[in-house]
Amino acid sequence: MSSIGTGYDLSVSTYSPDGRLFQVEYAAKAAENAGLAIGLKCADGIVLAVEKIVQSKLLVKGANRRIMSLDNHVGMVSSGLLADGRHLAKRAREEAQSYRDQYGAPMTMKALIERVAMYEHAYTCYGSVRPFGISTILAGVDKTGPSLYVVEPSGSYYGYRASAVGKGKQLAKTELEKLDLSSITVKQGVMEVARIAHLVHDDNKDGNFELEMTWIGPETKGFHEHVPSQLLQEAEEAAKRALEEAMEED
Amino acid sequence: MFRNNYDNDSITYSPTGRLFQVEYALEAIKQGSAAVGIASKTHVVLVALKRNAEELGSYQKKLIKIDDHMGIALAGLAPDARVLSNYLRKQAMNLKMVFNRPILTQRAVLQIADKAQENTQLYGSRPYGVGLLVAGYDETGAHLYEFQPSGLVLEYYGAAIGARSQAARTYLERTLEEVREVTDVESLIVHGLNALRDTLAQDVELTLRNTSVAVVGKDTSFKIYEDDEVTQWLEKLDLVSNARSRDDGADGDEETAEGDAPQPENPDADAGAAADADDTRMETDE
Amino acid sequence: MNHDPYVWGRPDDAVYGAYNHAIANASSHGNVQEETSFPKMNSQQPIITGTSVNSIKFKDGVIVAADNMGSYGSLLRFNNIERIFKVGKETVVGVSGDISDFQQIQRLLDELEITEEIYDNDGGHNLRAPNVHEYLTRVLYNRRSKMDPLWNAVVVAGFNDDKTPFLRYVDLLGVTYGLSAICTGFGAHLAIPLLRQLVPDDKDYQNVTEEQAREAIINCMKVLFYRDARSSDKFTLVTLKQGQPPKFEKDLRCENQNWRFAKDLVGYGSTQL
Repeated sequence: MSSIGTGYDLSVSTYSPDGRLFQVEYAAKAAENAGLAIGLKCADGIVLAVEKIVQSKLLVKGANRRIMSLDNHVGMVSSGLLADGRHLAKRAREEAQSYRDQYGAPMTMKALIERVAMYEHAYTCYGSVRPFGISTILAGVDKTGPSLYVVEPSGSYYGYRASAVGKGKQLAKTELEKLDLSSITVKQGVMEVARIAHLVHDDNKDGNFELEMTWIGPETKGFHEHVPSQLLQEAEEAAKRALEEAMEED
Repeated sequence: MFRNNYDNDSITYSPTGRLFQVEYALEAIKQGSAAVGIASKTHVVLVALKRNAEELGSYQKKLIKIDDHMGIALAGLAPDARVLSNYLRKQAMNLKMVFNRPILTQRAVLQIADKAQENTQLYGSRPYGVGLLVAGYDETGAHLYEFQPSGLVLEYYGAAIGARSQAARTYLERTLEEVREVTDVESLIVHGLNALRDTLAQDVELTLRNTSVAVVGKDTSFKIYEDDEVTQWLEKLDLVSNARSRDDGADGDEETAEGDAPQPENPDADAGAAADADDTRMETDE
Repeated sequence: MNHDPYVWGRPDDAVYGAYNHAIANASSHGNVQEETSFPKMNSQQPIITGTSVNSIKFKDGVIVAADNMGSYGSLLRFNNIERIFKVGKETVVGVSGDISDFQQIQRLLDELEITEEIYDNDGGHNLRAPNVHEYLTRVLYNRRSKMDPLWNAVVVAGFNDDKTPFLRYVDLLGVTYGLSAICTGFGAHLAIPLLRQLVPDDKDYQNVTEEQAREAIINCMKVLFYRDARSSDKFTLVTLKQGQPPKFEKDLRCENQNWRFAKDLVGYGSTQL
């Protein structure tokens, strides 16, 4: 990379001669190679999933949750530096609480993502801090219905019908594009997301993984909750079957 | 003086998105002597190897009680651990005052994780230089967590930190199934000590002077056992397996004996011996 | 004697000097000039008030009832106030006293429910009645120590960690106690004796059935409606039973009222003899 050794890539408050902020770009790199996270906006809710690479068999199975609740109706998952994800979640929770306090109603997703993105952006403005090393999916259901956003370390954000961040996001996005996103239900969404996670994951290269999944839908009465373990298990088994069938066809 | 341009502080990313200062902080953990934790379904045991800086000096404290239901083992910069344990105690007491119940181990450990993260994102502060094993028993059961200065926290059935801790992890992985079925605390402690013994340098033995044990669990308040109190378990250690597990457990580093090891430059470190450079050290070159 | 009713019950100017009307401005915080001449003043009384909350334990649960009245002094200002609400999965809180302070308490507990039950929750159940009660005790005691109390008496009902019924009181002074029958306000005088017939000793709740408890509470609501001029005959009754979500019954009425005695009442508001 031409940026290395020029001295223009050492601080977030320094532009390179061609107008780039390399520290922000490097922060995005931290997010790129971490475990895959998928978000899906369905007709009746949202689904979030994250691939957790099992680094050691001494890790407690099913513990070490990665998807966080920001409020009753909002879920968040990020890929990259995990501790940065918790920092951002802490701030987002404070925003959601203070909105509740001031307006007596749950925060809309539009207002929340705006605040979260503003906060992340502030960490790209000053030489005394570093940008967040995470790509984050925020999804929730508010009075306007389901919505899903992705925020990058730069503080820019976009709304999506479905998206993926982290390792293998391109392949995952290609698969998500094939879904009928206007009519899919959360129940179908859970099955599809599990399938895509298993498809994208390369056991030989990345080792074993655990799939963590949450949703908001009719089954959860608008609350952000973990997908019941039985349904998750069904989805994963179906995903593995589908993969095997696809292999045989090849 | 620096290895590269990107490792001067904890707020500069390398071109591949790494934070070298944070990774170096993880190395500080390995300068400390080993600590091992194991959880059964009802109990958690912490065992640790104490070092003394000099023959006439006292041994460095490795285990700290936080509350009746929670305690920690440390490896790395002991004063940093004291800052964190004070914070944990404060949180535990405050929660007890406000809610009239013991703090959940998970909540407590996430709080120090969030605190540690702050030091990795602000100029002028350094990340903590200590790793912790946090053991607790609460209404959700027995839990063992490993805390890292990066702000990462993970829950384990068995974990080891500090110098040559890879050898202990190897032991724990090998005996995992067996340990999970253990129902008595004594066997759990003996497993912990076996794992700890695998981290020792060649002519060092576990003695009642250098071994600390702590237990917490169902109907068992966190208690630290030292000196004469640990003899009962040291006697249970199988002498034959000692030699065997040492052979396949240690990773063949050239170790200096703990007694005549060079003194650490940093008087704050609870370390007394050289760290094993190869352990699980991260690659630091691009 | 001075026959002007205005001065009755007021400090005599001859004894205490003329009344200083500027004291009415004493609560203007931030105004340095006024603050130097007067002490800072916080609430001296509740404004819109809710009357008694009545509650009793039974064998495997608790019943809590409170009417829907919000009074402004002696004016029956609102008749649709729900003063019992749920916190977490199996706890209810009943509040009497100032209604705006009650609403503040409700906001605090809603926030608490999110921080304790939603954040980083691995499926554990964290917030139970003893925790809610302890939290409220801290809030109310801290406020009273700042000489700025939340003007309420609160009953927290739910279950202990060992699943036995939990019932405990805390008020604007931070005073707290637990009993098998707890009533706030007027109920503490009129309803407690009725409920004590069921639970003469604190442990006796174990012999009380849900039906008995319910009948006693409903009777209390009626007696209080007869005697408490700040009460209404429309009330909410909540039944907590082990292992079930709280059951809210709203818009209940005091049945079989008999006001024939009213013609014999003498004094205030009735024909003078």
